[in-house]
Amino acid sequence: MLEIRDLTKVYPGPVAALKGVSLSIGQGMFGLLGPNGAGKTTLMRIVARLLEPTAGTVLFNGEDIVADPRRIRRQLGYLPQDFGFYPHLSGEAMLRYLLVLKGVQAPQGLKRLAAELLDRVNLAYAAKRKVKGYSGGMKQRLGIAQALAGNPGLIIVDEPTAGLDPEERIRFYRLLAELAEDRTVLLSTHIVEDISVLCPRVAIMSDGRFVADTTPGEARDRLDGTIYQGAVAKEDLHEIERRYRITQAILIEGRNQVRVHLSPEEAGQGAVPEGFEPVSPTLEDAYLLLAQANGASGNGEGA
Amino acid sequence: MSALGRWWEVTRRELTSGLRWPGYWILFVVLFFMAWGWSEGAVTISSGDSTVGGERSHVTSVFAQSMIQCVLVMGIGAWFLAIAAGLVVIRDLELQVTEVFHSTRLTPGEYVWGKFAGALGVFLIIWILYLCTGAVFNHVVAAGEDVRHIGEFSLGNYLFPTILFGLPQILLFAGVPFFLGTWTRRPIIVFFFPVAVLLVTLGFLTTWSPDWLPPDVNRALMLVDPSGFRWLNETFLTVDRGVEFYNTAALRPDAGFLLSRIVFGLIGLTAVGGAAISYSARLRRGGSGSRFFRRRRRADVTKAAEPSSADATLRGLNMATAPLGFWKAARVIGREDVRELVRRPGMYLFVPLILYQSIFTTVVAIGPFNSRLLLTSGEVAVRQLNTLSLLVCFLLLFYTVESLHKERSRRLAEIFHTTPIGTGSILLGKTIGNSLVAGLILVIGVVASWAVIAWYQLFDGSPVGFDVVPFILTWGGVLVPTFIFWTALVTALFALFRNRYAVYGVGMALIVYTIYRMVFNDPFGWVFNWIAWNAVQWSDMGAFSLQGRELLLNRLLVLSLVPLLVALAVKWFGRQDFDATRLVHRIRPKPLLVGALRLIPFAAPAIVLAMVLHFGGRAGRQGEAAEDAGKDYWRENVQTWADFEMPSVSNVDVELDFEPAERSAAVKGEYTFRNHRDYPYEQIPVTAGQWDPIEWTLNGEAHEPDDRSNLFVFTPEDPLGPGDSLTVGFSYDLEFPRGMSRRASGESEFILESGIVLTAFTPTFLPVPGYLEGIGVDGDNSSEPRDYADDFFEGETEPLFGWGGEPFTVRTQITLPEQYTANGVGRKVSDEVVDGRRTVVWETDHPVALFNVVAGKYAVKEGDGTAIYYHPEHDYNIEEMSAALDAARKYFSEWFHPFPWDLLKISEFAAFATYAQGFPTNITFSEGIGFLAKSDPRSHIAFMVVAHEAAHQWWGNLLTPGQGPGGNIISEGMAHYSTLLLHEQVYGDRYRIEFAKRIEQMYGDRRFVDSERPMVEVDGTRSGDGTVTYDKGGWVPWMLQQEMGRENMLAGLQAFIAKYNPDPDFPVLQDMLAVLRGFAPDTTAFDAFAEQWFFDVVVPEYRFSDVTRTQEGGEWVVRGTVGNVGTGRMRVQVAAVAGERWSDEGDDGSRTVVNEDYRDARTEVELGAGESAEFVIRADFEPERVLADPDVLVLQLNRDAAVAELGR
Repeated sequence: MLEIRDLTKVYPGPVAALKGVSLSIGQGMFGLLGPNGAGKTTLMRIVARLLEPTAGTVLFNGEDIVADPRRIRRQLGYLPQDFGFYPHLSGEAMLRYLLVLKGVQAPQGLKRLAAELLDRVNLAYAAKRKVKGYSGGMKQRLGIAQALAGNPGLIIVDEPTAGLDPEERIRFYRLLAELAEDRTVLLSTHIVEDISVLCPRVAIMSDGRFVADTTPGEARDRLDGTIYQGAVAKEDLHEIERRYRITQAILIEGRNQVRVHLSPEEAGQGAVPEGFEPVSPTLEDAYLLLAQANGASGNGEGA
Repeated sequence: MSALGRWWEVTRRELTSGLRWPGYWILFVVLFFMAWGWSEGAVTISSGDSTVGGERSHVTSVFAQSMIQCVLVMGIGAWFLAIAAGLVVIRDLELQVTEVFHSTRLTPGEYVWGKFAGALGVFLIIWILYLCTGAVFNHVVAAGEDVRHIGEFSLGNYLFPTILFGLPQILLFAGVPFFLGTWTRRPIIVFFFPVAVLLVTLGFLTTWSPDWLPPDVNRALMLVDPSGFRWLNETFLTVDRGVEFYNTAALRPDAGFLLSRIVFGLIGLTAVGGAAISYSARLRRGGSGSRFFRRRRRADVTKAAEPSSADATLRGLNMATAPLGFWKAARVIGREDVRELVRRPGMYLFVPLILYQSIFTTVVAIGPFNSRLLLTSGEVAVRQLNTLSLLVCFLLLFYTVESLHKERSRRLAEIFHTTPIGTGSILLGKTIGNSLVAGLILVIGVVASWAVIAWYQLFDGSPVGFDVVPFILTWGGVLVPTFIFWTALVTALFALFRNRYAVYGVGMALIVYTIYRMVFNDPFGWVFNWIAWNAVQWSDMGAFSLQGRELLLNRLLVLSLVPLLVALAVKWFGRQDFDATRLVHRIRPKPLLVGALRLIPFAAPAIVLAMVLHFGGRAGRQGEAAEDAGKDYWRENVQTWADFEMPSVSNVDVELDFEPAERSAAVKGEYTFRNHRDYPYEQIPVTAGQWDPIEWTLNGEAHEPDDRSNLFVFTPEDPLGPGDSLTVGFSYDLEFPRGMSRRASGESEFILESGIVLTAFTPTFLPVPGYLEGIGVDGDNSSEPRDYADDFFEGETEPLFGWGGEPFTVRTQITLPEQYTANGVGRKVSDEVVDGRRTVVWETDHPVALFNVVAGKYAVKEGDGTAIYYHPEHDYNIEEMSAALDAARKYFSEWFHPFPWDLLKISEFAAFATYAQGFPTNITFSEGIGFLAKSDPRSHIAFMVVAHEAAHQWWGNLLTPGQGPGGNIISEGMAHYSTLLLHEQVYGDRYRIEFAKRIEQMYGDRRFVDSERPMVEVDGTRSGDGTVTYDKGGWVPWMLQQEMGRENMLAGLQAFIAKYNPDPDFPVLQDMLAVLRGFAPDTTAFDAFAEQWFFDVVVPEYRFSDVTRTQEGGEWVVRGTVGNVGTGRMRVQVAAVAGERWSDEGDDGSRTVVNEDYRDARTEVELGAGESAEFVIRADFEPERVLADPDVLVLQLNRDAAVAELGR
């Protein structure tokens, strides 16, 4: 159980990245959604004890990890957003080195374990190759392998699928889902659909606060019957934008495929644009509407 | 856009970004202050002397500006150029912008040359700014009538040195790193180039110039020196040509040097061409780097297509975690660091470089009289300490910081620091890893030292073998603590600042400040000498016996700081980013105080050790109490007693009971004073050391003299009338050297387990009659050198050294542990051992003017009325030394005066002092002099130093020179003259000539033309007085001997010694000339000689011109002109010669053998200053060359140039 209480982080400037947030996260996969600069990475770095908070506490299984970072390090699997490795080591040697540092043990021995972990992330073929020769996706998979190693009680993964092809992305989520059965996994990603599929619970952050703590189903249910989709000529899009809350607008074959949100009252008053049909809401619709409601531009600096 | 336009665009961009680089502006600020300092007269060519009050060499002269350009570009500019030029392409490659560039029409050649031109251009802009700044400082700000070091403005004086010395270096140091960076893409290799060139150039090319270096080798070294300084120095600066020359003469490079400068510039430009080719090739390969790396990557790629089988789950892996233990974790971290270090090219570049620098500076070390040294293991180990500690600390700074930073630089930090491994383990592991680098250097250093010693054994005839113990003691005991401390300090600094550049800055500043203090200004005491600079004076006779206690405490202090630094490092190390708000709370007084209190257990040992060293040093011989006592002595007595003329001492009777292991002695003795003057003495002053309490007696009765801060003034009941005597007795216990020292230093006298050496010069172990001028005098109260009148020598002159008055008798009873041998002056009258204590009694068999005591655990080599007492392991030169001592005793007795004592002996003492002193019958040599000189059958170094010191039995003891200008030449100059005579007598002309040329070369190299005074005025207070006293002082009597004839000269010298031994008037040069004149066959010639060589400063310098060789009839005729471009008027022989004069066949170094094929024909000319004369030499052989002064009879400058080869 991860408990975050009144967590505040103020960077010199001052810039308040977290504004007294509180949250309880139990076992299973927990998704963090939010625009750039919402405070997701700051939150995860504090939980990983790479960053000292300005105020507040973080408890993991009842132990205060702000006061004593060593308590979380023994139980943590962490995949940061941006990371690298020693370029002169092979993938296998690098992983084995990190396994040793983490105190990972396995009956088959660390060499075999490293090979098997690399196999799980589909890197066995490049195990002997130096890391400096890895592509971005290969490095990401090596990072995943180290994060999942050793049965950590808490796994924090920040944008874990960046650079992975769809097949690898699915493979990784399968591994993550397996682990999440009996531990806490904190997943931050911009791919809303992934959260929707994987996370029974999700929190949406905006401007250093949680603006929602829900389940994907709840989020979708709240919007049931309020999302309409239709095609709009390019010259008409501006008018639609002015009059409606748009959750998506994608240009396809010269026309915009647009999704708008209308409340039941608005829909009842005949405000539905011509040619638009009600569609099932998605988590992305919910996230984007929440983000808009809280004034996030989606273009802020990462924190 | 044209190709030129694209090139210019790249250049312009690089110029713009280069000018924004702070490093260049830091360079400019440094240069700005240097220019200002030089305009203030901080740097001039060392010609002239500020004490003279005359013209000084101009900092604006072409020579001074050339010197500055040589040093500045090499010493400072090279680093900035290497960074600026070497990294420009690397930076673009890292930023991954080159692919974008080359998607345009920009060609690789345009890009590379543009980048280079831009980087070079920025440096040139800064350099031109510096030159302009310097010119403004010199000619606008500092100029004025009273500014003697600034000359008239001349644009050429700035531009010419820049083009000749600066530009080739600039092109070299820009071009080669540029190529290395482009080719390898490794910054470390870029930095390696200037480091390597700087060390080789400054450590060897510009500085290494022993007298015996063959001219061709010297010339070659001049041409391969990229700075050009060696050529400038050896051609113009080494032999001082006087202020006027440097201020007005033009600097004309010879063709060879000019070519070498062009070649250096071309090397730089060629390297840029190579960079363009390399870069272009890389682009063709798709940016895959060098062929080497490309091959390896291709091999990897072939594996990438293997199918994946990754469908299994994680559960099947059965993983568990158990945190690593502290030590195991540290080992894992350390091992990984070592693995990475081993892969770094820097290891293979810097480590050999450090060892080269360290060992090279050791093997080229020279000893007294420019002699080569025997390389014993202890000497080799200790001589490398400073260099090794400095360079390895630099390396550790770099590696430790990079190691601590590497997780951040590789973006692994966020993963690495979330592992459960402890911070202490991380830091310890990294420390161990980096310390292994230092350890590796030390191990390789020991092996390399062994190789050097073995090489000298095998190929250079060195008798010294290798011994690892000194390395373990000094490197293990001194360097290892330094490296541990330094690594811990760097780690703590890194943890504190969390910024590697800040740590580099602080670390470099600390090292530079330390070296500045230790080398230039007020060296750190034991408390702050963390680097143990100059902390070990090695002696094979007993290492560490002088300052071992202080050194041990110092090393313990350094080590005791390590836990504190580690605690701080662990506390501050940045595994997480601190929160600024919490940080502000943490640095409030109360939390800070609490934090400091928690650190007290870590700091306590260091505090205690520092206090022991500090207060121990203050109370010891170098402490404030000792300084205050000296000042009090001076203050209280200088007005009253400085000019007091003492009565003679007629007898000394002392009993000395030594405990060498405790540095102590019980002293009891009695001096008999005799009034040799014609007036009575009411008081007699005696200077004592800081011995408390002293029990005094006067004429056998207990007495309490007036204690004037250790000048004890005795007032007898009745004044001491002319011819009357009285006795002063004393007894006390002493420790010497007393207490702890404040800082690392040698001692000129000591009682140590390694041996004892004590003299009666100063009150180190015995009271000294009268007031002593040197005590309590330092920079604050020293006075100007005494001004002597022209006729100061008329009447009675005081002695230059010794107790003054008449010679006296001495009885010395020495008691000490039986394993020691104790030597005093005179002859040994008894030597008994009772209960493990040896008691030896020495009594003078002829009066002496001074005395000493020396003791050690000796072996002895007895000769003919001589003996040499030496450390049993130092028998390398004993045969040569013994032969020299025998010969000296025999021939000097024949030539100058019969040796009046029974035994002449030399005793060795530990190298805590590095002098030799010729006390009557009891000469003492530091182990580095003679005993550890690298003598060989040709150089006769050991013979030379023994002959010189033995000659002081006559020139110093039998004849004590007078105080005043020229007095010391009678001691040191005549000892050198005697050495010349003995060389000739024992080994023949060849070796006399070798020695004469050797000291002539030293005179040429070390004299200061503008401050040099006539020999009768030399008083040792000016730069260059030393070489005049010794080298010229030995040469001139030799020339005088040629003038007078050998028999006349020796007869004159015998009469001179007879006249003044003994005599209340102590002679100076004028007195010697007055006696010798009486033996001169031609007094007019004698006077003319004396006038120019004793009362004036002249040195001839001969040059040939228009020399031809023709065959006329059955003979060869050599015609030519020889001129004296120097000063002085001398007759000099000119010889046409064929073949080599000396033969090695039949000469094993013990006698001169003339080569049978050697022929010469001679003529003689007399040349004054600036005069020349035509000469004709007829020979019945085909001459190969002509030379001036073939027998080396006329002291001259640049003898090597007084030769003309005759073409075949």
